Amino acid sequence: MSQVPVARLQDVTKRIGSRTIIDRVSLEIYPGEVFGFLGPNGSGKTTTIRMMVGLMAMTSGDISIGGHSVRTHYPQAAAQVGAIVENPEMYKYLTGYQNLLHYARMNASITRERIDEVVKLVGLSGRIHDKVKKYSLGMRQRLGVAQAVMHRPKLLILDEPTNGLDPAGIRELRDYLRQLAQEEGTAVFVSSHLLSEMELMCDRVAILQKGQIIDIRSIRGQAASAQQQAEEALFDVDRPEAALGVLQGQGGGRIVDGLLELTADRNEIAEVNRRLVEAGIRVYGIRTKTKSLEDQFLEVTGSETIG
Amino acid sequence: MANFWKLVQNENMKIYRRMRTWVMLGIVVLIPIVVTVAFLLLSDSKDANNWEMMQLETTILFSLITIFTVVVAADSVAGEFSTGTIKLLLIRPWSRSSILLSKFIALVLFSVLLSVVCFVLTWGVNTLVFGFSSDTSGLIPANSPLAGQSPWTYMGLDYLYEWIELIVIVAFAFMLSSAFRSSGLAIGLSIFLLFAGSMITGLLSVTNKPWVKYVLFSNLDLTAYLNGGNPVPNFKTTVGFSLSVLAVYFIVFNIVSWTIFRRRDVAA
Ligand SMILES: Nc1ncnc2c1ncn2[C@@H]1O[C@H](COP(=O)(O)OP(=O)(O)OP(=O)(O)O)[C@@H](O)[C@H]1O
Ligand SMILES: [Mg+2]
Repeated sequence: MSQVPVARLQDVTKRIGSRTIIDRVSLEIYPGEVFGFLGPNGSGKTTTIRMMVGLMAMTSGDISIGGHSVRTHYPQAAAQVGAIVENPEMYKYLTGYQNLLHYARMNASITRERIDEVVKLVGLSGRIHDKVKKYSLGMRQRLGVAQAVMHRPKLLILDEPTNGLDPAGIRELRDYLRQLAQEEGTAVFVSSHLLSEMELMCDRVAILQKGQIIDIRSIRGQAASAQQQAEEALFDVDRPEAALGVLQGQGGGRIVDGLLELTADRNEIAEVNRRLVEAGIRVYGIRTKTKSLEDQFLEVTGSETIG
Repeated sequence: MANFWKLVQNENMKIYRRMRTWVMLGIVVLIPIVVTVAFLLLSDSKDANNWEMMQLETTILFSLITIFTVVVAADSVAGEFSTGTIKLLLIRPWSRSSILLSKFIALVLFSVLLSVVCFVLTWGVNTLVFGFSSDTSGLIPANSPLAGQSPWTYMGLDYLYEWIELIVIVAFAFMLSSAFRSSGLAIGLSIFLLFAGSMITGLLSVTNKPWVKYVLFSNLDLTAYLNGGNPVPNFKTTVGFSLSVLAVYFIVFNIVSWTIFRRRDVAA
């Protein structure tokens, strides 16, 4: 990615009283990427997002969006951003449509047609003229997404957007975000502690713990390289002991819970399978224990404790 | 950037799409009718001067209008905090000052609307029932600076003074609104301070301490000047003096609101 970043956080620090809640966070988010912001509860994801959208002042450091500092040129910076911060609270006494109209009036160039288009996109057409107080959590979340994307922002910031969505809704959102990134070049910044979610939709993730970024890694690249890496493979066979004999200790084979476990890369797994079959051992299944992002995440953050 | 008037339009939508606003307007419409009908039913003479009835009803109504606008003003900012809608409001390409100003303008428009409804209704109902009278002796006292003037001038000034008082109080409630996260607290405190303030000032005024005349509540009742009196009888203040004191309070309240609102971290 050789482009100019849409958003740049430089040594962003937030202190409240004597507590340092965000500690020298630096990040760059590029057009067309889905960037995950991962961290346990209370690690400071929401606080960072609040500073990015100007809801909270930074103690030190700076954030620029589209080249405009949030500190000094807020309206110019905010014009490039669409966001949901925590729960998307709307005016309950207004209808969904009136809520969208309210936000549309605050940005130049949002036409009625665009509002209708977005309503259809988030699947609220049937209920858009109902009062928001009658909406379910998932419907409010969808309305939240609608107000965030309505003005085609260059940077879309979503704080736990899947909260309250049903599986179909989560899937639609995920596909939509990927599509936005790929087709419109939108930079999408999503926070979550749902690690498996992140794995499915992000290009890169930053891992935040106790207000500090402890790792930024590329997910897509890793998935590709994982194919070359040796990993734990489990063979479900009819005679594990005999199978172990056939392999003569290759890959540190061992028997775990009646399954044959060994360390091998893709080609080796195929080779082992051929030898077992040729030796007359029935192979019922082969599974690899890919380290999920979740495992890696817990490995990096140490534990699941809050803070 | 879209134009500023659209922000005011949004604030108007948030005022007029609420049930409570229509209840308030309904009450403002009903009171002149109810008072006049009650007069017809209860009094023996069945006749009254339309201007005097208008003034009587205006006095009653304005204390209600004050409470209504204070409720809307106190809820204006604090309500967005307590419901969390402030977050999605402030992440738009507008400075916080513009958003605050749009809210204040919407409040001013609301207070003007209530005042106009009040004027039209109290004049209309009473003129309809009692006829148009050109006798102003009961309306304008002999020692009034407006003695000999037309009732329109007198009532016009009456409304202007009432409205100035109202808008200073609105600025006060608005200040509390931008200081608190809870709209209930902002509304309750504004109304409480309004009543407590005028009571305490009433007590203080008998002490003859010279600084009492600079207290907000010693200057609020501008209509007293219309009848040749003073808001606080033992200080011989002038309209100009009171207006200047009110202007200073008005500016200070707004500076405080603006400073708080611009600096606040939104962590709702
Ligand atoms: N207004 C505040 N005053 C003091 N501390 C605060 C304030 N807001 C947040 N914090 C603290 O800052 C830390 C980070 O909070 P934040 O809400 O950013 O976490 P998060 O990563 O979004 O967590 P979650 O996954 O639960 O949403 C927490 O330890 C929290 O207690
Ligand atoms: Mg959070």
